[in-house]
Formats: sequence, structure tokens, C-alpha cells
Amino acid sequence: MSHRTAVCLALAAMLLAGSAWAHHNMSALFDFNDRVNLSGTLTKVDWRNPHIELIVDTKSGEQVQTWSLEGPPPSFFRARDINKSDFEGALGKSVTAEASRARDGSRAGLLRVMTLPDGKIVSACPQNC
Amino acid sequence: MNDFYRFVIMTTAALAVVVVLALAPLPAQAQLPTDPAERAKVVDQIFQANARQLTLFDRQGKPLSQIGTRDMYGAPALSPDGKRVAVIKADIDKETNDLWVLDVATGKGIKLTSSQAREGANSPVWSPDGSHIAYVALRGGNFSAYRKASTGEGSEELLYRSPGILTLTDWSVDGRFLSFFSTDLNGGTFYALPLDGTGERKPIEVFRNKFQLQGAHLSPDGRFMSYVSNESGRNEVYVRPFNPTAAANVAPAKGPWQISEQGAQGMAVWRKDGKELYYIAADRGLMALTVSTSSPDFDFAKPKLLFRSPDATPVGAGATSITPDGERVVMSVPPPQLRQLTMFDRQGNVVSKIGQPGLYVQPGVSPDGKSVVVMRTDLQTGNLDIWTYDIATGKGTAITNDVPPENAPIWSPDSKQVAYVSTRQSYAGIYQKSADGTGDEELLFRYTPGAGMVLTDWSPDRKFMTFYTGVLLLVPLRADQQALDRKAIEWLREDYDVAQGRFSPDGRFLAFLSNEADHEHMQVYVRPFDASKPEAPGPGPAVQVSKNKEGAAGMIFWRRDGKEMYFMTRDWEVMAVDITSSPTFQAGTPKLLFKLPGPLVGNPAQWKNVTSDGERFMFAMPVK
Repeated sequence: MSHRTAVCLALAAMLLAGSAWAHHNMSALFDFNDRVNLSGTLTKVDWRNPHIELIVDTKSGEQVQTWSLEGPPPSFFRARDINKSDFEGALGKSVTAEASRARDGSRAGLLRVMTLPDGKIVSACPQNC
Repeated sequence: MNDFYRFVIMTTAALAVVVVLALAPLPAQAQLPTDPAERAKVVDQIFQANARQLTLFDRQGKPLSQIGTRDMYGAPALSPDGKRVAVIKADIDKETNDLWVLDVATGKGIKLTSSQAREGANSPVWSPDGSHIAYVALRGGNFSAYRKASTGEGSEELLYRSPGILTLTDWSVDGRFLSFFSTDLNGGTFYALPLDGTGERKPIEVFRNKFQLQGAHLSPDGRFMSYVSNESGRNEVYVRPFNPTAAANVAPAKGPWQISEQGAQGMAVWRKDGKELYYIAADRGLMALTVSTSSPDFDFAKPKLLFRSPDATPVGAGATSITPDGERVVMSVPPPQLRQLTMFDRQGNVVSKIGQPGLYVQPGVSPDGKSVVVMRTDLQTGNLDIWTYDIATGKGTAITNDVPPENAPIWSPDSKQVAYVSTRQSYAGIYQKSADGTGDEELLFRYTPGAGMVLTDWSPDRKFMTFYTGVLLLVPLRADQQALDRKAIEWLREDYDVAQGRFSPDGRFLAFLSNEADHEHMQVYVRPFDASKPEAPGPGPAVQVSKNKEGAAGMIFWRRDGKEMYFMTRDWEVMAVDITSSPTFQAGTPKLLFKLPGPLVGNPAQWKNVTSDGERFMFAMPVK
């Protein structure tokens, strides 16, 4: 399907999909075939459109690595009864995450799934999958 | 592009081929309401605008029968014997897509998959003997290929779990391979999935390049593959040798051969004897050409038109399937798509009709009231371009005439230029061109790769443009800056959605849509705008302009004298509101001017379709 055709096919999809925003094409920046699994501390939550951003500090030996994970927009989570408070409650605590790695090799990823400290599994799929 | 949206786009290839909502990001009001009555109304609107009739034709285009009743059908695939059709059916209310098999004679169906909300199946293909159907399903966040008996009996078999989106296209005549593709802005890849053995199979990467690829159908003798690629700048059908043991990025010793001549939408399937090949051309024509795979080279004749779907109900490649003998064609035929540019007065009376019916969407009236700018899909080329029409004479002028789709047109404040959005080399950008179609287009601003953006306004002093992505952004148009140096400013970025920024005539305010108060309903708000401090709204609270329970769909417009505003409700009501802006902004009680028979296609959160004096309203009305 051409890009144009795909875009033109949007009506049913738009209306079925609900509200969602993205300010760039996911596959342009992230490689869906290159996944990374992270375990670390959630240090920041930016809960805004067009997509949320989660910062996770991981350890590689003694060195701390800071990862930026891009999620869907707040409305995506709202429709699934997941709220900002779920993430804010995890600040400073251990989380695990699976993400598609940024194509530029930076410590950035497109969030697929995050497990919060209380065991709650937050999936960013199918949007980010 | 987002979640289920992205998936459904892949799966419902037939659902809305010429429903030209090519406006990138999604209006927040598209979310299905939770209130049962409101939800039922929206679901019915979606159904009425999109439900398709499965129709069987002979190869001359003569309708033979209708299969069942209208429904949300997409991606039909006729069985090898032509007696059944596999099809994806969307359940709007449940937000699912599932695979069904319908009996062509009776229309009775069986459901082969049962998806969870926001999941579904896509791209069904039949086994050569018709005993099984392979398909892709999204489950638990993963796209996987499965197969199941076409009778619906037994359990499904997982064939391959994919890391990303894939689309199945064919099951080889010898039964040994499924073919599928994966394509995005970084290029496309074809795969063959061997079906020997058991358990999860490992796909073979057959061919990959930097262009977008679709299709991949193997010739019956397994020596060649047909596919669609945009490597020439537009989609065309190609054939190349099929060699699953060769490296995917190595050019074949012979070929590829381009076999379409005037663009192609897709399909590119072989007759079972390998002597004819079919595809859907850019103008919706079902094409056939004689081919030969018996010599070392691939030989082919000039394509000939079999038939073309009507202008009023155009059908594309994803909505078409042909039997292996080339004698029967099934199409999922949409509701009539032609629209007439129509001017209404404040009482809802039709004042005039502009030009001829066409595939129009997003009409915008020029500030001087003399012209309308609109997105138009050409029925011959399939190109989506920007046109202007003289309201008095109906004479049309092409502003763009190219393959890349353009969208979201707006007028300059002096009515002399038109600005629009187009994506070139993965970058969405804002371009401007003279409204009489002369001269070259000029890039004004380039956004991040692959991003969607909806351009909604140009400030009265021409110093800013505004667009939205869920965030409301401003583009300062400083004359001393090159287009690539310009940066967008996030004027309003919150956890709620904002859309459709509209400058007041004096440039002191911005009106916009927001679901700040209730995430299910957008309302119209106004906040101060200070051109010297464009990083955020000026001081003071947002003033709510629309007040109806079901919210606003868009069409925000300021009358030139700044004393009245307009917007459209989700019930297609055109509303007017008395306003004052000095010393502070205040809005009166909205009053109904008239109500349109909805739903109308397009994105009201971009419409600027009112004359400056507030006396006339332009809509692209469906032609019955």
C-alpha cells in the first residue's frame, strides 16, 4: 500500500482509533527490529502531547546510563485507565522496560512495555509495536 | 501515525480508498464516546459513511451479484474456486477487525478469528487448494502470521511472530511459501516464509531497497515475482526473478521489468497458468497483460484495460480480488464519493454550486470571498493536489500537480497565495504558491521526519503560521530566516489535546479546540496571543466559546469585524456567537444558524470555509 493510499484510508481507522498524536513517524526514528530491555530507576515523567516521555537511569557496571523512552500520547493511556499518577508513583523506584532502539544509536527508545514497581504492566502496544 | 490507527490502515485497505481524509494527525474528537447513546450515533455515522458492498463482477466489469449486505468490509480475497471470499470485517463499536469467510452465492459467513478490542486480523490469503487461509493478526502487541482451516474448524497455527508490521500477499502455487512485505519510510523488504516443517518458521529476506514496496506475488512456476514499488517516483508494477537463496540487496542478473505504464495502485497477481497478469492502475482500471515465464527472460505485452470502477464509487487495489482463472472479480464498493462544492447562506439555503462534482475535501474560502481552495483527488491519476476555484465562474486552477499528496490548504491574508502541507523525502513541510497557479512553490518550513501536521491559519500580519499535532504550534516567518532554519514554537503543549488555532482579525487572540475540561469533548476556547511573546498564551484564563454538551468539531472562524465567531458542532450544526474583544474577550451564547445532513467527509478541525463577512458558508456536499 502506498503512503498516499495509506493516508487516504484513514477514516475508519481514525474513528476507530480514538485520539492519538505523534509528531514524527515512529519507523523513521526507531527500529522495530532492534529491541532493548532495560532495568533501572524511573527518574522523570513528562506527561504531555504529542507523546509522553519517560526517563530511566540504568547501570552498566558503576556507570549510570540515562535512557529516554517515548510513549504514546496521554489520551492513549487514558483510554486504558492508566493515569499520570501510575507513573509518578513509580518515580525513584525500579522499573523494567522493553523498547525499540533509536536508529541514531542514542540512548533513546520507543516504549513497548513497562513494568511498574507494583507489578503493573503498561503496554504501549499496538501503537508502538 | 498511531497505534491501532497504524494497524487498521494496514488492515482495512478497502475501507475508505477515496475518503480523502489525508490530514495527518487525528482529531481528538474522533475518539468514540463512552456515553452509550452518543457512541451509538457516532458508530452509525461511521458505518453509513464507510460500509461497503461486496460485489462480484465478470472480467468485463458486468456486475453478477452482491455478496451479503453492506458492512465494514476490507481486503477481500476470492477463494481459488471463486465460491467463497475471505474478508476483513471491522466492528466499529468493539474496535476490532476479524477475518470472515463468506459464501459468494448466499452471503452467509463464518468468523475465523475473535479479536480483542483494538486488535485484529488483516491480509488474508488462500492456500492453493482452498483448504486454509493464512493471515496476520495483532495480539498482545505482536503482529504474527497464522493459518487456519477455511471452514473455521480446528485451531489456528502460528507460523511466524514478527518484530513489526507485516502484510501477507500470496501463497505460492506449489504451497511452499507465503510471501509478505514490510515497508516504511526507510524502505521496503519482501520476504518468503517457507511452510515446510512445523513450529515457527524463519522468513527468507528476498529483496530489499530504500523504496516503498508492496505486494509480492510469485508466478505459478515460482521463477518470478511481481510487486509494486515507488522507485520511479510513483507506484508502478514490476517483475523480477524470484531467488530465495540470493542475497536480498543484490540486483538480479536480469530485470526488473516495469510492466505498468501510467502508475499502479497495486494487486499485481498472476493467472494460475502464468500467462496473464493483473493489476489496478492509478486511474482504478483493472488491467490485464499477456506474459510469459517460459523463456529465460520474462516476456510481456502491453497492458489492456478490462474495466474501471465508476467515478462515483472508486475502488482501489486493496478492495479488489480476482480468481486464479481471471474470470471473476470481487470488489468492496464504497458509498458514493463524489462531492459538490456548495455555498450556503446563514439560513442554510443553497446559494450556489461551484464547478463540477469531484473528489473534493477541505474547502477554504479566500479572505476576499472570490475563490475557494480545496484538496482534489484526480480520478485519472489518483494524485491528491491543491486546486483553487473561482466562485463566480467555477473555473478551476491547479496549484499543485504532482505525485506527492498535498493537504491542509489555507489562504494568505491578502488572498494572493495558498499555503499547504506536503511530505517530501520523509519530511512534512509547509509550502506556498501563488493562488493563480503561476510560479514555483516555496518551502516555508520543514518539520521533523515523517511527522504529520495540520496547517490551520496564517496570522493577519503574515508573521506567523499555526499548525497542530495535539500540540498547538506557531511558525514565525521571519524574512531573514531560511525555511530550514525556522523552528516551530510550542504555543500550547499540555496533557490534553489542542487543535485548529485561528488568529483573531486584530491578531490579539488565538481561538482553538481543546478537550481540557472533558477529554471526550472538544470545545472552542480563546486565549490572548502576544506576537512579541509567542512561546505561550498571554495572561488570563481561556474563555470557552462553545458550550453545547457534545462539543465542537471545528470550523472555527472569526468574522472580519471581530464581532462574531462561528464553529461546527459534532452534530453538523453551524453555530454563531456574538463576541467582544475589548478590553477583554467575551463570548455570548452560541445560536444555531443551520444544520447540515452529516456526516461530511474531511476534518472540520482544519476548515476555514466562511466568507469574511460571515454571510456565506462553503461545504463539499455528497452527490446523491
